[in-house]
Amino acid sequence: MSAGSRKSIADVVAGHDVVVCAGSGGVGKTTTAAAIGLLGATAGRRTIVLTIDPAKRLADSLGIAELGNRPTPVPVDVKGSLSAMMLDQKGAWDALVERYAESDEVRQRIFANAFYQNLSGTFAGSQEYMAIEQLSQLKESGDYDLIVVDTPPTHHALDFLDAPSRLGNFLDRRVMRWFVRPYMSAGWSGLRVVNRTAGALLRRLEDATGVSALADVSEFFNAMSALFEGWDERVKRVEELLRSRQSAFLLVATPEEQVLSEAEYFCSKVEEHSIALRGVVFNRVQSELGSDRQSMEEDAIVEALGRAVTSAATRRRLARNFLRYETQARGDQLRIESFRDQLSPAVAVATIPNFEEDLHDVRGLRRLQDFLGKPG
Amino acid sequence: MDLFDRQLIFVVGKGGVGKTTVACSLALAAGRAGKKVLLCEVDGLSRAAQLLGVDAAEPGRAGRMVDGVSVMGIEGSAALAEYLGMVVPVRRFLQAVTQSELYQYFVAAASGLKELMTIGKIWYEAQRTDERGGGRQWDVVIVDAPATGHGLQYLRMPSAARDAFGAGLVRREAEKVVALLSDPKRTAIHLVTTAEEMPVNETVTMARRVREELRMPLGALFVNRLHTEQFRPADIDALLAAARSSRQRDTKLLLSEVASRAAEESGWTRLNKRYLRELERDVPIPRVELPFVFSEEFGRQQLLELVDQIEAAE
Ligand SMILES: Nc1ncnc2c1ncn2[C@@H]1O[C@H](COP(=O)(O)OP(=O)(O)OP(=O)(O)O)[C@@H](O)[C@H]1O
Ligand SMILES: Nc1ncnc2c1ncn2[C@@H]1O[C@H](COP(=O)(O)OP(=O)(O)OP(=O)(O)O)[C@@H](O)[C@H]1O
Ligand SMILES: [Mg+2]
Ligand SMILES: [Mg+2]
Repeated sequence: MSAGSRKSIADVVAGHDVVVCAGSGGVGKTTTAAAIGLLGATAGRRTIVLTIDPAKRLADSLGIAELGNRPTPVPVDVKGSLSAMMLDQKGAWDALVERYAESDEVRQRIFANAFYQNLSGTFAGSQEYMAIEQLSQLKESGDYDLIVVDTPPTHHALDFLDAPSRLGNFLDRRVMRWFVRPYMSAGWSGLRVVNRTAGALLRRLEDATGVSALADVSEFFNAMSALFEGWDERVKRVEELLRSRQSAFLLVATPEEQVLSEAEYFCSKVEEHSIALRGVVFNRVQSELGSDRQSMEEDAIVEALGRAVTSAATRRRLARNFLRYETQARGDQLRIESFRDQLSPAVAVATIPNFEEDLHDVRGLRRLQDFLGKPG
Repeated sequence: MDLFDRQLIFVVGKGGVGKTTVACSLALAAGRAGKKVLLCEVDGLSRAAQLLGVDAAEPGRAGRMVDGVSVMGIEGSAALAEYLGMVVPVRRFLQAVTQSELYQYFVAAASGLKELMTIGKIWYEAQRTDERGGGRQWDVVIVDAPATGHGLQYLRMPSAARDAFGAGLVRREAEKVVALLSDPKRTAIHLVTTAEEMPVNETVTMARRVREELRMPLGALFVNRLHTEQFRPADIDALLAAARSSRQRDTKLLLSEVASRAAEESGWTRLNKRYLRELERDVPIPRVELPFVFSEEFGRQQLLELVDQIEAAE
């Protein structure tokens, strides 16, 4: 399919209430999410961007550098309204504990619990889960027509999709019930019931290593049982929201080989998650200027520059620089083309150039926004 | 500068700045200098093996040595299983453990255990003796670490384990690992960044944390993907003016395109310079500047250009 024959990303945004920007680390998810927010607000919608770890200067210009963990209006002149909010993972977990712990004493015990500290800080999937948790809260508030969700920097874009069910599975596996039952929580004795051999060996391992992991888990789940009772339900609700027709998934990718092969894998997997991929944003692309001139000989270019620039050395440098960029651009173009060819025609596409300036303010975002409006 | 004159070298940095590229270039440069090099890839994508044009071996095994460099993929679960194999020598029991659901809980709950095992495996390779020669198996072990936050987590694990775990096997081993990691004669942490806003900010924080929190020896700072050409605005304007006045369509286009590429490159060079100054001020360690290598597809040939630069700096 040739360039320009697809829907634009702006069309996709206009047709959905929730837009999720996923992709590998560092490709421009946060920047794209902010630009999409601006796009929605410009079109007159009450918009909020739920952002994760923005560049400090972007956070500054969105006005969320401090106290960004609640919706904060962004000072821009738009028809609708734009708010931004930073995902505060640690804070969000703490809030859940505050809400569900039955007493002050239990609360303190949880905060001090080593497993909780790991879970809320680094436990795989917890950041993704909290993003989704906050998304559903924003959705339920009814305050916004459009919610744009940035996703955490993961090596694999898929981690975000897996997170709720992975965490759900983890918290819901049959074994977990053993932890939650008070009479079984005395430690390893309860686990022997599940698997005698493994239990005994793990106990030896625990002795040898000095890790008292399972005691911590047990304590944590006991204290938080009120929270986890409703867990299944919440995970299901959130997954339903992500799968509904109101939500659109966008993939952000740069034209580098390893990023694109990761992206390809992502595309092949979204269907398994019953999530429809609505658009792909190719970011930081070196665009080709003129296909017939990039094959010119260096000398011919030097000569053509003859009358404009007097220094021969400068002419040579200019010609070389031009050809270097064209080479880079050709590579980008080839990789993108072969990627596009595999996308269903219904998937919108945007190509955003690699700007030689930072995109950390509203002016920069507007530049980017223009490219989201072009048909792919 | 001595860039690879250590037993153990970590290459850390924000996602996508060029850690794998730099780690591969360093490994090739060290190999050329006659060293036996083990390049460890921790993130499990075998990109290093691919870039060096060798087949990836299974996790935890060193691949065939080419030009003095052997590549190994290290994966937390495999390292843990390998370690358990030493602690629990009975294979049948071991399988029962690692395949049980309980084990999954254990690993998830003792979050950091996999990272700890990964570092343990790296330590093992770094101090391992050659069974025949009696000397060390590897002259230098170079680690292509995962992106920043996660990468530092790996480095933090041994001392965290030493402090957190009661007296036990893990504690004793953690102490040995910490001793190697914090010895400036044997270990260096190289930082990689590009001269752009976010990577620079992250690098400044990272350098401070390596020094103050981890108390590990910083090596050099690699500033990658640098643009260096700078064209005079007067020349660019002259090109544009000539483009406007030219009556031939092809020449017109060519002149304006050459001008726009020149402006683009100058813009990047200016931006890179600004952030280089920031790095100079905020991360005062030896610096290696690596150019942006233009290409249709970054491969071995481009890598070799960087190796030359590293050799020149060394
Ligand atoms: N099209 C572009 N041209 C130039 N710079 C860009 C472009 N897109 C993004 N950037 C810059 O790249 C950097 C990384 O972008 P961003 O923070 O949006 O990526 P991310 O995918 O959210 O990263 P992470 O995975 O670390 O969260 C930022 O400094 C941003 O200004
Ligand atoms: N000096 C350079 N000139 C041009 N391109 C480069 C240079 N260094 C790296 N690249 C390209 O930049 C991209 C990222 O490099 P690389 O994979 O080494 O980064 P990384 O930090 O290891 O990324 P990740 O965090 O994803 O592991 C690759 O496409 C690589 O080819
Ligand atoms: Mg981000
Ligand atoms: Mg890498």
